[in-house]
Amino acid sequence: MKDQELQDWIDGSFNSVATDAELELLEERLLHDEVARKHYLNEANLHASLRRRFSAGEARLSLLLDPPNVGRLSFSRRKVVVGLAVAASVALIASFFDRYVAKSPPTAVIAHVIGAYDEDGATYEAGDTVSPGVFKILRGVARLDFSSGARVSVEGPAQVEVIDEMKVILNQGVVTATIPEPAVGFVIDTPTAHVVDLGTSFGVSVDTAGLTDVYVFDGEVEVSSRDGRKAGAVGKLLREGEAVRTDGKSTPIDTLAYDVSPFEATWPVNSGVLQTTGSMRFVTPGPNFHPGNHVDNKHIVVFPERRGFVPAEPTHVDMVDPGRYERRRNEELPVLLPEQRLTSYLLQLNAFPEGEKPNRRRSVRGQITFAKPIVGVVMANRLLKKSEEVFGIPGVEYPGARMIEPRPEGDQGRGFDSVILAADRRTLLIELQENPGNLDQFRVLVEAE
Amino acid sequence: MVDQVPDSSRYEEFVSLYVRHEPAVFSFVLSMVRNTADAEDVVQRASITMWRCFDRYESGTNFRNWAFQVAKNTALNHLTKQRRDRHVFGEKLIELLAVQVEEQADHLDARRRALDSCLEKLPEEEHEMVAGCYAEGSSIRSFAEQVGESANKIYKRLNRVRRQLHRCIERQLGLEEATG
Repeated sequence: MKDQELQDWIDGSFNSVATDAELELLEERLLHDEVARKHYLNEANLHASLRRRFSAGEARLSLLLDPPNVGRLSFSRRKVVVGLAVAASVALIASFFDRYVAKSPPTAVIAHVIGAYDEDGATYEAGDTVSPGVFKILRGVARLDFSSGARVSVEGPAQVEVIDEMKVILNQGVVTATIPEPAVGFVIDTPTAHVVDLGTSFGVSVDTAGLTDVYVFDGEVEVSSRDGRKAGAVGKLLREGEAVRTDGKSTPIDTLAYDVSPFEATWPVNSGVLQTTGSMRFVTPGPNFHPGNHVDNKHIVVFPERRGFVPAEPTHVDMVDPGRYERRRNEELPVLLPEQRLTSYLLQLNAFPEGEKPNRRRSVRGQITFAKPIVGVVMANRLLKKSEEVFGIPGVEYPGARMIEPRPEGDQGRGFDSVILAADRRTLLIELQENPGNLDQFRVLVEAE
Repeated sequence: MVDQVPDSSRYEEFVSLYVRHEPAVFSFVLSMVRNTADAEDVVQRASITMWRCFDRYESGTNFRNWAFQVAKNTALNHLTKQRRDRHVFGEKLIELLAVQVEEQADHLDARRRALDSCLEKLPEEEHEMVAGCYAEGSSIRSFAEQVGESANKIYKRLNRVRRQLHRCIERQLGLEEATG
């Protein structure tokens, strides 16, 4: 091939000296020129063969050798199948697989289940491993933690095909995914869409006709419709607070109003909350979402804050042991040493005057169960402010005075707030007095997952 | 759904197929990701997926094409992550390469087989240069430093040697065709 320009681009691209502009030119050429592509594959093949020939690839494997294991596997057919010359590398690679594949972590593990049943009516259990294949859930919620770090909560009825630790196909159902840095690029395919995570939390729902809705809670994802993708169209970039719907055909993809109610069951599980009951709601975040601007005077709302975070200094809290919250003197305050990874949540009841009897006082009750033990609860206004510096979401302006008023010792009156940490150390039973104009807030520190 | 202990004959079948076709898979992956270190990572991840999904491979069908599919998906994941930092090939080209690599696979195998005798024919100095540049953990730059030459000079010389190797391989294949 006497095409010097093409040859230069190819040489440059395999030796990491080509510029982005040259790579784009090469790509353009390869897209439209089959002969150039053929030549390119020959070049790749020569580079690969030389690398295999001279890099000590087998020596690299042999470093992993565990001599007692080599003979353990019997390769009765190996001479027939691959011949003597290859037998040595069969043994090498076999031992490599033996050590690193057979014992490598499963594709995913079921981390939490909430009344989750398979199609035969058997319950799923936390700790079950999930291999590539079809995962069906008839009802309830199960959270799959993938070895890549991706967390996907699935609400039944759903059918998910697990491809590997970086990809699933959602044929039907509702999922919420939280993708940490190492798993960026995690893919959820549906019958009508292709969703690529770019570092984020998002929800996908697929109905029985395959219609796909995608909601981004945080970060960015790229969505393309089935047909758009076949035609080579560029995917649509979705940011926090945006949503789209596709039937696979329509291009461009339709934008949807942001309504996260379909994900109310899966999002909390993804965020470390197993259950909320009574007048308690776990809020699915949206754009510009923070405790100060959330309006809801009928529910105790739960905001996830910082996750998996080790504070630099000891943290004073109001409560660490099971029982009912009571006010303590300063010197009695328990201290959490800065040695544990914690996740924080802010719980809030924001009562504001409303309706015919704006000054009526009521109480709002609820219960919340976290996936991990609660290590401390911060109630007093001063401690709350101080803990905000460490556990608050950066950039969020937290409100001024907050009040949790427990019943003073000996007082028999009504109208006090009550917060009880249950003996399981994961559940809080909460009753807050709705006092118009008052903001009730407290912070719960939970062992990080 | 729940992991099963691999059946040992199935395991042997996998290992022997994998060993036979790994060079083709590595070559295909390198064409997609263009960097040997990245290609090695991708191939290792793909091989783990292949073993995990091996129950979906039907004995007697084309393992190489099945392995290409798994490798393509693994490479696409890898490229998606890299896309934020630098230019990488788009999915459309990857799909075209995947189609063509299947068509060309036997030819590429033949070229790999022909390479050994062509390497033997290289003058010692050039053989050493190729070995030095493609060795584990080394690069054109590190080899150039080692022999006290400029990287640019080695880069050009190496490109020239690769041209020679291509010509030699093609002659050999032509010869084989003529005599076969």
